[in-house]
Amino acid sequence: MRVFFVAVLALMLVWTVVMGRLGGESVDPGRTPLVWTSDDNPLRKEQVALFNRLHPDLNLTLDPANQGMEKVIVQSIGGVGPDLFDCRDANQLSAYVKAGIALDVTDELRGMGIDVLGETWPAMRSVAVHEGRVYGVPTNIGANALWVNQDLLPRGVVLPSGAWTWSEFIALAQRVTRRDQSGRVVQAGLLFDWYNWPHFLYGFGGRVFSSDGTRCVIDSAEAVQAVSLMQDLVYRYKVTPSPVEEAGMAGQGGWGAGNINLFGAKRGVFALGGRWWLANLRKFDGLRLGVVESPHGTRREFGAVGRATLVNANGPRRTEALRFLSYLASPEYNGLVNDQADGICAFARYAQGDAFEHNPSYPAEDFNLVWRSVSARAVAPESSPYVNGQLANRLIERQLDLVRIGQKMARDALRDAARDINREIARSLDEDPALRERWEAARGPNR
Amino acid sequence: MGARRKAWIVACFLLPNFLGFVVFTAGPVVFSLGASLTNWNLQRTTPTRYVGLANYVELSRDDQFWTYLVNTAYFMIGMPFAIAGSLFLAVLLNQRLRFTTTFRTVLYVPAFTSGVALMILWKALYNPDFGPINAVIEAVLRTIGLGGLEAPQWLLSTRNLFGLDVERLGVVREQFGLGARDALIFMGIWTGVGGGNMLLYLAALSNVPSELTEAAALDGASRWECFRNVTWPQLSPTTFFIVVMSYIGGLQGGFEQARVMTAGGPAGTTTTLAYYIYTKAFEEFQIGYASAVAWVLFGVIFVVTVLNWRFGNRETNLL
Repeated sequence: MRVFFVAVLALMLVWTVVMGRLGGESVDPGRTPLVWTSDDNPLRKEQVALFNRLHPDLNLTLDPANQGMEKVIVQSIGGVGPDLFDCRDANQLSAYVKAGIALDVTDELRGMGIDVLGETWPAMRSVAVHEGRVYGVPTNIGANALWVNQDLLPRGVVLPSGAWTWSEFIALAQRVTRRDQSGRVVQAGLLFDWYNWPHFLYGFGGRVFSSDGTRCVIDSAEAVQAVSLMQDLVYRYKVTPSPVEEAGMAGQGGWGAGNINLFGAKRGVFALGGRWWLANLRKFDGLRLGVVESPHGTRREFGAVGRATLVNANGPRRTEALRFLSYLASPEYNGLVNDQADGICAFARYAQGDAFEHNPSYPAEDFNLVWRSVSARAVAPESSPYVNGQLANRLIERQLDLVRIGQKMARDALRDAARDINREIARSLDEDPALRERWEAARGPNR
Repeated sequence: MGARRKAWIVACFLLPNFLGFVVFTAGPVVFSLGASLTNWNLQRTTPTRYVGLANYVELSRDDQFWTYLVNTAYFMIGMPFAIAGSLFLAVLLNQRLRFTTTFRTVLYVPAFTSGVALMILWKALYNPDFGPINAVIEAVLRTIGLGGLEAPQWLLSTRNLFGLDVERLGVVREQFGLGARDALIFMGIWTGVGGGNMLLYLAALSNVPSELTEAAALDGASRWECFRNVTWPQLSPTTFFIVVMSYIGGLQGGFEQARVMTAGGPAGTTTTLAYYIYTKAFEEFQIGYASAVAWVLFGVIFVVTVLNWRFGNRETNLL
C-alpha cells in the first residue's frame, strides 16, 4: 500500500511539472504583459491580436474568467486585478469610481488627442463619463434596428428608407405572418426579445426615471403605451409569437432557441436586433439580409447597449494600459469592429465613408448607413443614483414576465413596478442621510 | 516516542487540512456573518457601515423573501415521492432477477449524468407545443373525452397545484393548475428516484439478515407483512439519514434549475432562496443583505435538522 501511495504522489508531481511547462503562455521577457478582463467573445481575440501586432513591446492577454464586477473590484483593491476591465453601464461605472479602482483618464486622453465626449455616440458616453470626468473609452455600440429577411417579403413591398411608425409596420407585419391550419405561427412577422423593452419605451418618449433620477416614472402614459404595444404585437395583432409559440418554433427542426437562430432559419420576416447579430447571421447560408430603421412611436429614439474599457487605478502598468485606450480610439481598432460586426465602432467618424458603407469583404451588406443613423439616435440605458440599477431592472422584468405571458395588463404591471422601485428608492434614502440630502436637493424645495 | 512528540506529529499532519478549513470554509462563514450585519454593497451606492440587525428586520418585511421561502418549501413537496420511489426501485433491484446489474446501472444514470444536460433535456420534454409530455397528456385527454382541455404550459406558466398567487402570499383560483414549479418538482422526483438514495437503500437492503424474513415467512407472514414488519424497521436508519439529507439538500436547492431552465421565472415563481441569495449578491451586489438571507436559510436548515433529530430518530434503531 505504501508503494501505491508513493507512486501516486510521484505521478502527481510529474504531472504538475508537465502541465506547468505546457500550460500558460510564455511571455517574451522583452514584452510587458497586460491583462484585459472582457467577455469570452471570439471577436475579442482578433482585437487582442491586432493590438499585439501594433504594439510589439506589449503582450495583451484576455482574461474572461474574472469579468464579474465583484471580482474586478475585489481583485483590483487587493492589488491583483487586471490592467484593463470593461464597464457596461452607468451603474457599474459609478461603482468602479466609488471603489477607487477606475483611473481618471480625463487629462491623459486629452493629452493623446482623444475626445470621448465629442467623438463618440451620445448614448455611449454614460459608460465612460461620470460626473464630468472621463474614466474610459467606449469600445462599440449596439443600437437596435429592424433586420429583414428579403426573401420572405412579398413582391412589390417597398420598405421605408427612413422613419416609419408602428402602425405602418403592423399592417405589413400582419400581411407577412403565416400560420398553419392549427393556428401555430410558422413565419413570424416580427421577432423581438422582451429584454429590449427600453427600445419600445424610448420610442414612445417613456423613461424609467424622472430626469433628476429621484423617482421611477415607468408608470407614465408613454411607458404604458410602449409596453401595451409589446403585448399587442403578441396577443392582439398576433405578428409576434407568444412565449408558447416561440418555444414551439425553437423546438421544431432543431434550429435552437433564440431569435437570431429563428431569424437565420427564416422563421421571421422582421427581427429587432443590433448589428452584432451579423456575427452569427453571416454563418447562415442563403440569407438575403436587409436592415431598416425600427418603427417608432411618438419619438424617433432607439435602445442601445455598449461597453467602455477602463484602466485599473491600482494596476502597476497604468502607462502601458493607457496605450490600449489609445488603440480603442484608433482607426485600426474601429475599422476592425466594423468589419467584425461587433456592433459598430464607438467613434462616429470611423462609421462613414465608402469603406464603411460598402465593405468589399461583405458586398451584400449594403445597409450600414442604417446602423449609423440609429446609433446617432440611440438612448443610453438609464440609471438613478438612488437605487440599485440591477434591482430596478429585476423588478421591472418580473412584472413584464406577467405581461408577456398575458396574465397582466401593461398599466397594472408598470404601476406595480414603479411602486416597488420607488419603495426601494425610499429605502436607500432611509439608509443613507447623505444620499437623502442629495435627493432632496435634486428634487428642489417646491416639489 | 513521547506523548508530546507524538502530539506534535499528529498536529503537523492535521495542520494543512485544518488551515485549509479555517481559511476557505470557517473563515468565509464567520466573515459572512459579519457581512450580514453591515450594509455592504459592491456598487457603493452607500458607504459600508455596521447596521446591526437591520438586514434581518428588512428581510422580515421583504415580500420577495417570503415568496421565495414558500417556493423553496413548495419544491420539497416532491421529496417524499422521490424517497418512496427510490425505496421501491431498490426493493425491485434487490430481487434475484436476470439483468439486475444492468437495471441498476441504467437506473443510476440520472445521478452521474451532467445536471445541466438533464435540465436541457427536460426543457425540451416540457415544450408545450411539441414536447412528448404534452403529446401524451393531449392524447390521454382526447381518449377520455376531454379533448377541449388545454395541456399545461409547464415552464412558461405561473400556475401551480395549490393555486399560490404570484406576487403575494395567498391562494387564488386562477392560479390552480400545473406550471413551472410543478415541472421542476416532477423533474426532481425523476432525478431523486434513481440516484444516490436508491443506492443507499440497496446497500441497506443487502444488510437485512435473510433469517429474519425467512423466519417471518415460516410464521405465516405475507410478503407485505414481511416488508412492513421486518425489512422496513431495519431500513429506518437509512431512511432517517436520507430524509435529513434530503431536507438539507431541498432547502439549499433550486439554483441550477433556476439558472439553466427558467432564470427564476416566470415572474419569480421558480426562484428559491438559494437563487435569491445569488441574485442579491452577484447581480445586485448587495452582499450584506445576501449574507443575511444566507444566515436565515442556515437557521431554517438548522431548525429543521434539529427537529428531524428530535422527532425523526424515535423510529430508528440506530440511535
